[in-house]
Amino acid sequence: MIANLTGEIVTRRAVSATVIALLAGCLCPARAQTSSKERIKAFAKLPDWSGIWELDAFVGQSDGQQFSAEGQRRLKEYAAALRPSFSPEYQAKYDEIRKKVEDAIAADPAHPPVTHQPLCVAPPFPATSSPGMFEWRVTPEETTFISTVGAVRHIYTDGRSHPPKDELWPTLMGDSIGHWEGETLVVDTIATRKRLYMGELSGFFVPMSDQLHFTERIRMVNHDQMQIEYTVEDSVALTKPIHVTITHVRVTDFNRMIEETDCEENERDPVVNGRITTIAH
Amino acid sequence: MKRAVAALVGISMLLIASSALAHHSRAMFDQTKQVTLVGTVKEFQWTNPHCWIQVLVPDTKNPQAEPVEWGIEMGAPVELMRKGWKPGSLNPGDKVSIVINPLRDGQHGGLVVSVTGPDGRVIVRPAEVTE
Repeated sequence: MIANLTGEIVTRRAVSATVIALLAGCLCPARAQTSSKERIKAFAKLPDWSGIWELDAFVGQSDGQQFSAEGQRRLKEYAAALRPSFSPEYQAKYDEIRKKVEDAIAADPAHPPVTHQPLCVAPPFPATSSPGMFEWRVTPEETTFISTVGAVRHIYTDGRSHPPKDELWPTLMGDSIGHWEGETLVVDTIATRKRLYMGELSGFFVPMSDQLHFTERIRMVNHDQMQIEYTVEDSVALTKPIHVTITHVRVTDFNRMIEETDCEENERDPVVNGRITTIAH
Repeated sequence: MKRAVAALVGISMLLIASSALAHHSRAMFDQTKQVTLVGTVKEFQWTNPHCWIQVLVPDTKNPQAEPVEWGIEMGAPVELMRKGWKPGSLNPGDKVSIVINPLRDGQHGGLVVSVTGPDGRVIVRPAEVTE
């Protein structure tokens, strides 16, 4: 069950045995009768990632309008690290898409074109780590990432492999498996939609190949910071992997995870003929 | 010079999708311009994906004319709540002064920059970002 739980044993803080036992029973009733003690021990080895988190660059941006000066600085750092080195074939694809978006903006600057409908689905992995607030649910069998903008990632840590190729298809979050190296969760993700989001112009996706593959190393640096090291590989679309380390910080001004991606309630920026068309009243 | 989110979208981001991916671009607002509206709240919409203020603005040059309704787009409710807003922060009839970035298409609408509420308190003042 916990074959991949290796490394030093770290006592999980502020979690009583009673709570753990309840969790064991609630989350996995089928095994609670036979292995609850083992499961409690497995929980005790896991790091405590409880709390609510957000991308460091977004701190102070919670009005939804403007980034702080520090936020801008961090975003520029991230952007520089994230710039892909496309192969000639994929550079041509990127150039073509970007030109189309540029031309569409020039034709009607008041109504930005969108290439990524629908707008209100969850951000696809790896864009899951940017907008909104996040929670982590760490169990021996799975770590779950939940965001307020609708993204839920299931990272299986029970020792399984990715499914065979004939059982995989591209999804928003892809297929993620992980293992623990001490307090670091190492995640391997495949089978995402074969594309990467570019934040340029009004935003657009660039296609990638079926070799697109992500690795993450996720750890808590201190009580208020988590660090995620991403490696993005695609031997067909990229001439070299993309490496970036981003920081999530603990949210201290809010204590609830509230869904905020519900465009059906009052969507006044609908997409009409591929363009955002604001309804002032 | 005030700079807004749009200043950042010229950068390749990949992981850092910005709010544009979760919601949408703000390029329909002219973020190089600011307009101040002084009027009366008609409706405060505490809704997803954005909150809106509908405000009636009298024509100061022609007080006899019907006031013009403007629609002011804000952030999502949870974003505003983290800034101290609540669903009852504004009510119909409240006198407000609102600074906006206007819509480019000429409609009476815009993106909120700041709001001075009926008690004179500034209830939104996003951080000024200099470049």
